[in-house]
Amino acid sequence: MKVGLKVWRYDSVSGERALREYEIDAPEEATLLDCLDIVKDRHDGSLAYRKSCRMMICGSCGMRMDGAAVLACKTRMYDIAQEGRVPVISAMGNLPIVKDLVVDMDPFWSKFKAMWPWLEPGYERPDDGREYRISQERMNVVHKEALCINCGCCVSECNAMESDPEFLGPQALAKGMRFVGDPRDSATVERLERYNQEHGIWDCTRCYFCNERCPKGVDPRDAIAKLGAESIRLGIDRDMGAKHAKWFVRSAETTGWLREEELIPKTQGYVSAIKQLKFGASLARHGKVRPVPIPHTARDVGEARNLRKVVRGQDRQGALGHVQGERALARLAHGNAGESLEEIYARPGAAPRPFLPGEGQGSLTQADVTPGKEPTRKRGEA
Amino acid sequence: MIAKHDVLVVGAGCAGMRAAIEAFDAGADVAMISKLHPTRSHSGAAEGGINAALGNAAEDNAEIHAYDTVKGSDYLGDQDAIEVFAEEAPGDIIQLENWGAFFSRREDGKLAQRPFGAAGSPRTVYAADITGHVLIQVLWEQVCKRDIPVYEEFFAWQLVDHEDRCQGVICWDLLHGGLKTVGGKTVVLATGGAGRQYRVTTNAYACTGDGMAMALHAGLPLKDMEFMQFHPTTLYPTGILLTEGCRGEGAYLINKDGERFMKHYAPNALELASRDVVSRSEQTEIDEGRGIEGSVLLDMRHLGAERIIERLPGSRELSMTYAGVDPIYDPVPVRPGAHYHMGGIETDNDGATEMTGLYAAGECACVSIHGANRLGGNSLMETITFGRRAGRSAAEWALSHTTVEVPESAERDAEARLRELLDREDGERPWKIREELGTSMLENFAVFRTEEGMTKQIEIIEGLRERYPTVYVEDKGEVFNSDLTQAIELGNMLDTALCMVTAGVVRKESRGAHARPHDYPTRDDENFLHHSITRWKDGGIELSKSEVRFTKWEPQERKY
Repeated sequence: MKVGLKVWRYDSVSGERALREYEIDAPEEATLLDCLDIVKDRHDGSLAYRKSCRMMICGSCGMRMDGAAVLACKTRMYDIAQEGRVPVISAMGNLPIVKDLVVDMDPFWSKFKAMWPWLEPGYERPDDGREYRISQERMNVVHKEALCINCGCCVSECNAMESDPEFLGPQALAKGMRFVGDPRDSATVERLERYNQEHGIWDCTRCYFCNERCPKGVDPRDAIAKLGAESIRLGIDRDMGAKHAKWFVRSAETTGWLREEELIPKTQGYVSAIKQLKFGASLARHGKVRPVPIPHTARDVGEARNLRKVVRGQDRQGALGHVQGERALARLAHGNAGESLEEIYARPGAAPRPFLPGEGQGSLTQADVTPGKEPTRKRGEA
Repeated sequence: MIAKHDVLVVGAGCAGMRAAIEAFDAGADVAMISKLHPTRSHSGAAEGGINAALGNAAEDNAEIHAYDTVKGSDYLGDQDAIEVFAEEAPGDIIQLENWGAFFSRREDGKLAQRPFGAAGSPRTVYAADITGHVLIQVLWEQVCKRDIPVYEEFFAWQLVDHEDRCQGVICWDLLHGGLKTVGGKTVVLATGGAGRQYRVTTNAYACTGDGMAMALHAGLPLKDMEFMQFHPTTLYPTGILLTEGCRGEGAYLINKDGERFMKHYAPNALELASRDVVSRSEQTEIDEGRGIEGSVLLDMRHLGAERIIERLPGSRELSMTYAGVDPIYDPVPVRPGAHYHMGGIETDNDGATEMTGLYAAGECACVSIHGANRLGGNSLMETITFGRRAGRSAAEWALSHTTVEVPESAERDAEARLRELLDREDGERPWKIREELGTSMLENFAVFRTEEGMTKQIEIIEGLRERYPTVYVEDKGEVFNSDLTQAIELGNMLDTALCMVTAGVVRKESRGAHARPHDYPTRDDENFLHHSITRWKDGGIELSKSEVRFTKWEPQERKY
């Protein structure tokens, strides 16, 4: 198939930028990375980009396609080529460009290292010289964070980092959660104190671009939310961000609506609030807040309180309150909920049903050959 | 020379990082050199698991692990090394877990273990199907904790062989340009494999045998190079790996009729026979017309959505992305693909090579515990156990010796050679030679080998090597010149491929991954129960042999 690409070239020595267009022949299964290889081999050997595993695990080939961060090796080109689109390929954002599609990862790694990215051995250390005994359930809290391949796609897209380059950023904070949520780690409080400082968890703008663009389903924004929840659970709530979050909850469970005029004093303190009176007056003038608060309680406040009770009752405090992705890769769509194996075998165009030679076709009744605990039984069998 | 260290580790995958950590803990000033960032190393792509006889899932011990490994090696593994390996493996796994590795767990909270091919007990510790990723992360974390310096994106090119010992490495600085020499009292090579010699491979673009080639060019012996493992389940058409864990969890291999053909080849172990056996069976099915478009099918449908999603999420993602198949509904087309080099730089059980001050560990080394065929899950374990041992012995030697000296002439010669390549104004672009090598290796030196094919392959490689001195590097810049490093890598692949096929032709038997069903279909212990040694001499290859070390297992017929 014919594939067209426009690539932003950059020469760091001369400082020149140029958008170059290439048209190549590629096999139908080609990924963006395959296409760049063809360009480099046969058209322009000076094109620079990183690559290694080509199976979305090494994290080398993060770059932007039409302005959105992708792993080049994960991006199949067939549909794009069929539509006749010519995508624009450029280097990742928020990191200095070295050459063409290669960025300087030093700022990325220095933030990673600022997280104390290693386990501080903890309280439950086994005294028999063996492994820690921890249930899978407890480890699942940081399952998604453990999937991170440090490709930098989230950092590339981070809006908070664009305005504050010192913001620790989604990947570093996700790494932080990896240890805060690990029951083997004993430095939770020290970590959270550090991550709560300026440029830390509360500086995230919650735009969710990191979740959107992460090629591995790490959902860094969720990790940041978990860090916030853990901080508050442990009473590390000096930051205005933490106070802000707490006030939302307090406001919702007491009166059932958000008492905005109390938000600033509760978050920033009374002195700061007085200083902002002028700003408040301006907001009131434009109808953004009520000039005079009318004390009342929302009609169905009981529901809000009950909801809170339910959450408390489930004992899902802190990070445990975030359940959305304990099996991130399972997010890949599938609709097998109700289908039996028989139905799957009977699907139109299905591959032949497996059988062991020497027995009747379709037989799956032979003794299980797999050593292990669970036999591979036919689904739906008793 | 830009810097010197006690211990210099080349390569920062599992073996390299483990060696560096150990050398650091032994008190040495250690640094790592890698052409990639450490977490990009291909160890991270390992999926299924890492073998240690913990006995968590069923009764197991080091002796059974050692026996399985000896048998798997088709009796070509060095048994003293295998015993060391099996005994030290459990301790190394516990240490990784204590460091924070994110392994999968049993209900009682202990480490889970799954069955793997040719293993007498479920002994493969795993992290779903991203075990390598988890190991790379935990080792990188420990490297960060110790603040071990890394010369990142330094392409190691030549060893400094001065006064009969290795004293450093000459590298191309990929990010900034220029040749840079880093001195080391000892050097540990941990540069991984060379699967890119084949068109269909599970290996990353980075796996080009650089360390093996550096050692070869320094006059060191490479051992058992003819043994290239073909992994039975690589995705069609890309060659991307689907873990043996799929079969460990119960997946079937079927042909176009749905027949579980492994019943004919390994009636007891079926899909969980040793990798060489399964690859040969698949290739036979394909060759005899019972495949589908050059592949067979890996059928996971009966495992059910829940088990696939929980235990094999990465394999499912790979199948969906690269083959467009959801294994919950449809079997995945797979075929054998080049996967792992059993051979490599000859070392003793402490990673020491023939050259004073030079050590090797991991896939680039040949201790040898894998012999003629490696068992799934043993290579990750080897990187840890022998990475640690090599790091320890390299540090001990370095701490008892003082000087590092790199003669100016070495740097001058390297510069001249580099300029010769970089300044060439026209010639052939490397990709064509690379593709011809990949295609011909797959044709003539893959799962099945014949005298005729191998002889032809030597001619092909010689022809490509003649063309190689004309390759032309189009990028003349200094900054991130991957066009230059890819040209050097091609040279490394050609030379190591020549070693492989040359050693293969003279091994007139079938053993492990070296299968010659048409002319020498059986194992011949009388004449070939020895290691092959290849050396570079006067621009060609010199062949010799060395003894296999036995402890307690006599060679027997191998059946699964």
